[in-house]
Amino acid sequence: MVQINNDARELAIKVVYYGPALSGKTTNLQALYQKFSPEVRGRLMTLDTKDDRTLFFDMMPVFFKTEAGVKVKLRLFTVPGQVIHESTRRIVLQGTDAVIFVADSRRSEAAATLAYWNNMLKNLEANGLDYRTLPLVIQLNKRDLPDARSEEELGDLRKVIRPPMVPAVAVRGEGVAETLWALLSLTYRSLDRTMRLGERWKITEREFLARVFDHVDLKGTRLQGEAPPK
Amino acid sequence: MSPAPSFLQQKLPLADLLDLKAFSEVCQSFAELYRVGLKVFDESGNKLVDVKVGNADFCGYIWTKAAGREQCVATVGRVKSEPVDELARPVAFQCFSGCRYVVQPVLHEGDSIGRVVFGPFVPDDLKELPATLTGIAPDFDATQAGAYLQKIRRVPQETAEKILKHFMDLVDVLVFTGHKSVIAARLHIEAVQESYRELEEKNRLLEESYQKLKALDRLKSNFIATMSHELRTPLTSVIGYSEMMLEGLGGTLSDEQREYLGIIMEKGESLLHLITSILDVSKIEAGRVRLVLGDVDVAQLLRDAAATVLPAARKKRVQVTCEPGTLPRLHADREKLRQCLINLASNAVKFTGTGGSVTIGAELLPGEKLALRISDTGIGIAPEHLTRIFDVFYQVDGSTTREYGGSGLGLAVVKSFVEAHGGEVKVTSTPGRGSTFGLLLPIRQRPEPALTPSLPLHPVAPA
Repeated sequence: MVQINNDARELAIKVVYYGPALSGKTTNLQALYQKFSPEVRGRLMTLDTKDDRTLFFDMMPVFFKTEAGVKVKLRLFTVPGQVIHESTRRIVLQGTDAVIFVADSRRSEAAATLAYWNNMLKNLEANGLDYRTLPLVIQLNKRDLPDARSEEELGDLRKVIRPPMVPAVAVRGEGVAETLWALLSLTYRSLDRTMRLGERWKITEREFLARVFDHVDLKGTRLQGEAPPK
Repeated sequence: MSPAPSFLQQKLPLADLLDLKAFSEVCQSFAELYRVGLKVFDESGNKLVDVKVGNADFCGYIWTKAAGREQCVATVGRVKSEPVDELARPVAFQCFSGCRYVVQPVLHEGDSIGRVVFGPFVPDDLKELPATLTGIAPDFDATQAGAYLQKIRRVPQETAEKILKHFMDLVDVLVFTGHKSVIAARLHIEAVQESYRELEEKNRLLEESYQKLKALDRLKSNFIATMSHELRTPLTSVIGYSEMMLEGLGGTLSDEQREYLGIIMEKGESLLHLITSILDVSKIEAGRVRLVLGDVDVAQLLRDAAATVLPAARKKRVQVTCEPGTLPRLHADREKLRQCLINLASNAVKFTGTGGSVTIGAELLPGEKLALRISDTGIGIAPEHLTRIFDVFYQVDGSTTREYGGSGLGLAVVKSFVEAHGGEVKVTSTPGRGSTFGLLLPIRQRPEPALTPSLPLHPVAPA
């Protein structure tokens, strides 16, 4: 649930990276941390206590101020992928505004991925969130591995799955910015529908994305040259 | 209604992110190292840390003049709360006295959550006291003030900014670490609360099923009590009429008819016995057993028990010995005690093979107690079963039921009756060698015994 502070003219948006263990959620955040310039992002916080793995997640804040003087804060979270951390997953997922599902593209991981997908739907529901209206992007990570599903298979998948799918090799930083772009674009549209971001807060989708991606190193991404001018 | 925002989204005041005492100590040593004062404010303007270095005399002197006081307060107010850009760079504030401050906001996740004020210091380009200071009062002593000013560190603004930047890096790490700890702690608490909620839910379900079971158990006890009573009534007629026919009240009987009637009576009696046991158990479970106390000749009871099992023992060629000797009279419920002894004696015969023996005896124990003992040389009981044989319907195993018969109620009844008397049942056994059951009873009953304690099951209120 996006947090709005009318007096301070502030929006706080929560984005969660969800997915099976070792699918590359933390790698996504680490890659983004490298690509973002420090003036729009805070430190990458990694909670990883050695003896108590229940407290495990990463968080990186991204913030900007719009032309109209609205402060927008995005908090990017990862949830622990290990099965035992169910309760932490639920807590982190609480009140999220958008979700990136990081899937391992390998055929061998298909079953685990599907199980996590269902687990996410269950936890979204437990948190009173509707996946049909929630901004949701699937990242097909590890495209470089030999066992990865072919383009044809992905094409078939696209026919049955509604959320957009973005291919990535997070460990090389490929597709990471594209995934976030796709999600923020959906998030903007969703917030514009529910909160009239454009009309009431005077933020256009173009500005919303530019405020973030003007400060991201887009070298070598499919977004290069595509970032809308302010 | 939107739910309360998760703690992960909450803004925390600076004071919650720092250990103020430890932080003050760091500020103190930092300020002393650079010989410049240091103040830290939170976003609402509350002063969290205040370290003064070198400026006490100078500022104190200015405070002695009314106009000086007024302007000083105004300067401090500006330094403390005048808005500055939310950027990680220092802003200089000029004091009317010629001193200077550098100020930088404490930024966390793009928010300003406080500010650090470094100063006052004397900028190295200050050649003489400015007119804004010397003009505050006609009697202003510039020489004196100049002497006091020497105690404040003189430093180029650029250097002061570098020092402040260095300090801000430190604060940044402290705030980040503090935030991380707060989140870890809160997450831990949330996780524990989550588990607690899950446990509570499970407890609630357990409690529900427990209540259901209790209600069912009460129904069962009532049902058994009613049914066994209803079963007994017609059975008494069956036995009674058979007896009457045997006595010839219905005319002369042939030998065969007599034999058949005998079987009807015998089986009727054992059925009655079984029903009575069930009724006893249901009464015990319902806490409805009353002792009818009187003087009991225990020796006679023991002999009676021996006599009762003798026919069965003879058939199996088991030897029954009963040597009670002289015993004091016992204050007890005769009927219930008799039932206990017969139950134990029948068991002893039942589980003892041909050629074995059953011994019934008694012994006076210190402390006004009497021990009644029934020993056999039968099959014995394995240790793992010893604690459970007194449970209702418990039998050592299914096959013994077929081989030896019985309802599994006898010992449960014995235990309850003996405990109702304030006594206890002891058992020792060696598998294959035999068992000894001992009833330890107080000779005199305390006046109050009334309702029996319950069986191992939980107590049920009388219906």
